[in-house]
Amino acid sequence: MSRVIEATRTVSRRPDFTGRAFVPLALFFLLALAFPFLPLGARAEYLLQIAFFTVVAGVLALSWDILARSGQVSLAHAAFYGLGAYGFALLSKAVPWFLAMPLAALIAGLVSLILGAVTMRLSGMYFAIATLAFTEVVRTVIQNLPESVAGGANGLLVPALLGGNARAQYFLALAVLLLTALVSLAVRFTRLHHAFAAIRQGEETARVLGVSIVRYKLLAFFISSFLAALGGVLFAGKTFFINPLETFSLANSIAPLTTSIFGGLYTTLGPILGATVLRVAEEILHNYIKNGYLVVYGLVLMLSILWLPRGLMGLFRKGKRGGEL
Amino acid sequence: MDLFFQTLLNGLLQSGIYALVASGLALAVGVVGIVNFAHGEFLMIGAFLAWGLSTYLGVDPLLSLPLAAASVFAVGALTYRVSIRHVLLAPELNQMLLTFGLGILLQNLALMLLGGNTRTVTTTYQGSSISLGELSVGGPKLIAFGFAVAILAGLYAVLYRTTLGRQMRAVAQNRRGSQLIGINVDRVYLIAFGVSCGLAAVAGVLVAVLLFASPTVGLVFALKAFAIIVMAGLGNLTGVLWASVVLGVSEALVQTYVPGGGGWSDAVFFLLIFATLVFRSFRGAR
Repeated sequence: MSRVIEATRTVSRRPDFTGRAFVPLALFFLLALAFPFLPLGARAEYLLQIAFFTVVAGVLALSWDILARSGQVSLAHAAFYGLGAYGFALLSKAVPWFLAMPLAALIAGLVSLILGAVTMRLSGMYFAIATLAFTEVVRTVIQNLPESVAGGANGLLVPALLGGNARAQYFLALAVLLLTALVSLAVRFTRLHHAFAAIRQGEETARVLGVSIVRYKLLAFFISSFLAALGGVLFAGKTFFINPLETFSLANSIAPLTTSIFGGLYTTLGPILGATVLRVAEEILHNYIKNGYLVVYGLVLMLSILWLPRGLMGLFRKGKRGGEL
Repeated sequence: MDLFFQTLLNGLLQSGIYALVASGLALAVGVVGIVNFAHGEFLMIGAFLAWGLSTYLGVDPLLSLPLAAASVFAVGALTYRVSIRHVLLAPELNQMLLTFGLGILLQNLALMLLGGNTRTVTTTYQGSSISLGELSVGGPKLIAFGFAVAILAGLYAVLYRTTLGRQMRAVAQNRRGSQLIGINVDRVYLIAFGVSCGLAAVAGVLVAVLLFASPTVGLVFALKAFAIIVMAGLGNLTGVLWASVVLGVSEALVQTYVPGGGGWSDAVFFLLIFATLVFRSFRGAR
């Protein structure tokens, strides 16, 4: 019996594991690493800032995608992003930043286990609404805590990450993105991939096949919100200032979702690529149209869903089955 | 004790608008099977229509109700025809993203054309109030509630007394079965989605009278509508009514009795939904 399982594992693994698949991803990271050293001209600082927020958007999208692979389409990403930001703001009063960062992420991860346990048996639309409600609850709680604790509706000042050095902050963000990508690859090329996919495609069947639903769903939640919270830390440490309305806004839950779908679901490169294209497009639009520049953004999303349902990754993989990276 | 009854009354009046928005959304989700995240934006269109007609043409907002309903019905039907119809068989995620895109599009279109300011509508009855013994009710609130009840009564009369209504309910229960017995499902979808948007617009007109019109006014109402239809159960068109009342009243209770209640009412509101959902899931109803 175990030999059969072993055999199927090797069979299902081999076609995925080609070195070539890593090339575009490695290329992306090389480019991103070289970006601050390019001759950017007078607007270097502005461009570096866009790059920073693009990378953070990539972290959020990819971490959302990891959760989505286990069939949990969450609207609670803003909650964990925000918990990361707030956790960092409060913890960095007591401990140095390199401790505050993982600790904040750990707290968000542990909170996500609670949410995951409660929403375990919900699916589809019910799950989405429950996670949305959870975000609102977290926001309201933080907003209504005494102002001396979490700043209330006015928000909190956050110490700048790395003394406000833009280049260093960018590399830190890139490191977090690399970590997220590595985790994503780890999920993709281990048994986790099969467990998540089985749960996504049919929970009953997965259970019959012996997949421990509870364990894998919670694991997906923990990984995803841990990484999302790191994104929140980056955001808080870059902007020096956070407030509940903005940090926990619905937009922060929707952006990773749209980015992943636009880029290509259940892939590692897709969400990163989607974040890059969408953030840059957004910035360009913002320069041309001041008010309501997101019009075109909405239109692009609608058109891509109608004509590009598999996202950007679908463009490169016409007819090829599976084997996404 | 008066305070208690005043609170109950306020909650009940508030739930009229909730029920309007939520019953529209319930039609989209239950009949068409589309989770319409742009629902609040159709409400926003209604609010701006009321504001525009009243500011530039001097039309009383309440007289613009039929016009708003009809024109947004047309917008909704068109939306269905050119976009929603093509993703009916796509994964749920794609449908959600499509309506997100639509919402972003409409919201920012309004932002681009009208700016982000809130616009208020002035009416002659704005400051009026009616007192019943110790209780007092704002005139606009009462009027809005009256209209909401009348429109909902009309909607449910159509749903339960006409052939079209029966077809809609049949499709909500079982779309393949409906198709098999010869119901033109595509037509039912078109009408249901149009009516759904029309209802949101009507609610928007009332919101413009009670609060204001702004590009983002729809979001809060859409979120609460989601909560309500989830509480009622997806596809349950009648449960929406009592769920709206429960939510409106409990919100009012929290606002009155919890210290600093204004800020907490949203959380309790969503906590209630959260609890309902979890309770439902552990009872086995999914």
